[in-house]
Parts: sequence; structure tokens; C-alpha cells
Amino acid sequence: MPVVVSDIRNLADEEVMQLVGAGNPRAFELLYDRHGGASFSLAYRMVGNRVTAEDITQEAFLSIWRSRLRYDRARGSVRTWVLGIVHNRAIDALRRGKVHDRRRETLDGVEERHEAKERTDVEAARNEEARQVRTALETLPDEQRRTIELAYFAGFSHSQIAELLDEPIGTVKGRMRLGLDKLRRQLSEGHTAGGFA
Amino acid sequence: MSARDHSLYQEEVGAYLLGALTELEVQALERHMVHCPNCRDEVERLRPAAEALPRSVEQMPPPPALKTALMEVVDKEAEERGAETAHPARPARRRLGSFFPSLRPVLVAGALALGVAGGFGVARLSESDEARTISAQVDEKRIPEASGRLQVQGDGKNGAILRVQGMPSLDSNQVYQAWVARDKTFVPQPTFEVGDTGGGAVAIPDDLSGADQILVTREPRGGARAPGEVPILSVGL
Repeated sequence: MPVVVSDIRNLADEEVMQLVGAGNPRAFELLYDRHGGASFSLAYRMVGNRVTAEDITQEAFLSIWRSRLRYDRARGSVRTWVLGIVHNRAIDALRRGKVHDRRRETLDGVEERHEAKERTDVEAARNEEARQVRTALETLPDEQRRTIELAYFAGFSHSQIAELLDEPIGTVKGRMRLGLDKLRRQLSEGHTAGGFA
Repeated sequence: MSARDHSLYQEEVGAYLLGALTELEVQALERHMVHCPNCRDEVERLRPAAEALPRSVEQMPPPPALKTALMEVVDKEAEERGAETAHPARPARRRLGSFFPSLRPVLVAGALALGVAGGFGVARLSESDEARTISAQVDEKRIPEASGRLQVQGDGKNGAILRVQGMPSLDSNQVYQAWVARDKTFVPQPTFEVGDTGGGAVAIPDDLSGADQILVTREPRGGARAPGEVPILSVGL
């Protein structure tokens, strides 16, 4: 009897992952429905190119499907885990040089590109979450925020960032740590961290 | 390890979480963290901030063609694999009695005192809860050097942490997996790996109220929905 997607829609992500691990394509489809949008958005934010972002998203999800990548719930939510895989794929793409002109874009501050679209409730909720995190990010001193964004979204190593900003490597590492610490406190004080599990 | 070494490693924690270290630097820091609870704690303390970063991105829907292309590949590969698609209900839970008829004779009792094994990245449980520790029983034929103990938080509603030592290294396509046995069913728990010395830890996040045992088996990487072998380690609750 074929699997009906509605049968599994009530499952928690963790249970869906068990079915994906067993090779169930409908569970995989559900996983994509739940996290494909956030994955594509992250990839696009990082590479600034729709085609490359699609490639990265597809590669990430196929790697989950084909290799039955290990999901360990002790390390966080399924969403965090999936986004981590997408992030790694995007970093690989950036470092392989698949994306051009990223340096100028990132140093100038990449404006997020959006098209007119009909947003779902989930997208609206996630955009509200995104607004909260960005608000917290904006409270960081510019040099800390910029260093974090160059590392996380543009894929630069600490030594590359030190060269780009003409700062000692120790300073760059310190900014990353201090910036994350302040961001953590901001999120905690804003009572928004609980939504990021 | 000198205080200076520790200070240098601790300064790299932010870069580590942001993916800004080289592969060699990552390996060095992770080796250091095996023996440095302070750096492990610092990573866990800052991890929520790093994990919030991808959520700062405004959402945009992927093109429908992306899902279509993806599912074409996945459905085709599932068909080729002959993947099980007929039973999409909740993950299977096998009955204890029928699946492990020879479990009890295989397990060798033995209270085992052991040191705390390393292992980071496991879920942190409330330290304010009173904890109790239960020694594990191991199959001495298959894992003769192994030992383990389970630290249960409070009444068990907040799960537990299982720490092991002396576990053999597995093939690259295998992992250890924990299970909660309750009312003759097995509930899958996270998979875990052990370090070079055979030490490791895994968080059991489930509510352990009414649970009978915590078990460990060796499973294919990615974990299993039901135990694939007679457990090699068990902890009676």
C-alpha cells in the first residue's frame, strides 16, 4: 500500500528522520517540505545566486537521502542539523570559487534579495524569528557583527578575515568569540532563544 | 597542557563554531576539548548563538521545480532500492520477548566502577536536579573491556546520560545506538561514537518514567528503527 503523506504529517521531525533513515521517500518529501525553504533561503543568503543556491539545497538534501547522514538529536533540532549541512555545502561552494564577486558583496554588506511572493504562515513566523535575530545582531559592535558575518555567511577563514580587515588574527578570533557571547546574551534577554531549539 | 595553551584554544572557540578554522585547527581544538571541560562548556555556551545565525535569514520560497527534480531522483532511487514504503506509521517498536529471546543469558552482570568518559556535544541536563548513577551490565564476550554507567537526573523525566569506557572502535559504517526498553518495546535513542580510548557519552532525552532498561547495540551509521542485534550493554532501571 503506498504511503500517504498525510499519514506521517503529524510525526515529529525526529521521527520523520528515522523513516528517512529507513529509506522512506514520503518521509523525505516531508522533511524537504518542512526545511527546504529555510535551507534555500540560507544558501541564497550565502551565495547570492539563485541557481547556485538551488544546487546547494539539492546537494544537501540528496546527501541526507543517499548517505543516510546521521542525525543525533543530542546535538540539536532537525532544523538546526539540516541547516548545518546546507551551511557546510555553501561554504564548500564558496571556497571552491563557484560564486564570484562574493568578496566585494560581503564586504559591502549583502542586501538580501527578495521577490514579491505570497508568503505562507510558516514563512511569516520564520521571518519574524529572523527579524528578532537580526535585531540582536544589530546590537553588536560593528566590527564584531561584520567579523561574524564574514565567517558564517561568506565562508572566510579567520586568517582571510584578518587579511581583509587588516587586523591581527588574535583580534579577529576575539571578536568572533565576544560577538557570539553578546549575541547569546541578547537572544536570551530577548526571550527569543527558546524558539531556536 | 599549560594555561597558555588553554587560553589559546579557548580563544578559538568562536571561530570553531563559525566554521572559520582550518581543518587542522579544528582537529587540534577537538583533541584539546576531549580533556578540557572548560572549553567544551564554552562551546556549548556559545553554540545557541552560532545556531541562531541561519535563522536570521529572511525566508524565500524555493522554486517548485527544485522539489520536483529532487523527488524524481529520490523516488527513482527508492524504487531501485526496493525501499520499504508500505508502513509509514510511527517507527517500529519490536517486542522484547520475541526479538531477544536469549538476551538474559548473554548479558553478564557486573557492577563496574569507572571514570567519567569524555564526550562533548551531548545534551546538557539540569545540574540542579539530584542525580543517581547506575552501573551497566556488559556482554563480556563481545566487549570484554567495556564498562558503563548511567546518570539519571531526578525522577528520570528529564532523561539521562550514559557514559561508557573501553568500547571497541567500530567500522566507519557503524555506530553505537542507545535504546529505551519499556513495556516490551524498544524506543530508538541517539547514536554515538567513542574516542580512541573507547570512551564516549550519549544523552538519553526521553522521559524514563516506567522504562525498564537502557540498552546499547551496534547499528549502521544513521541509526536503526529497531535493534539489529542482541544488546551489548544494558542498564536496569
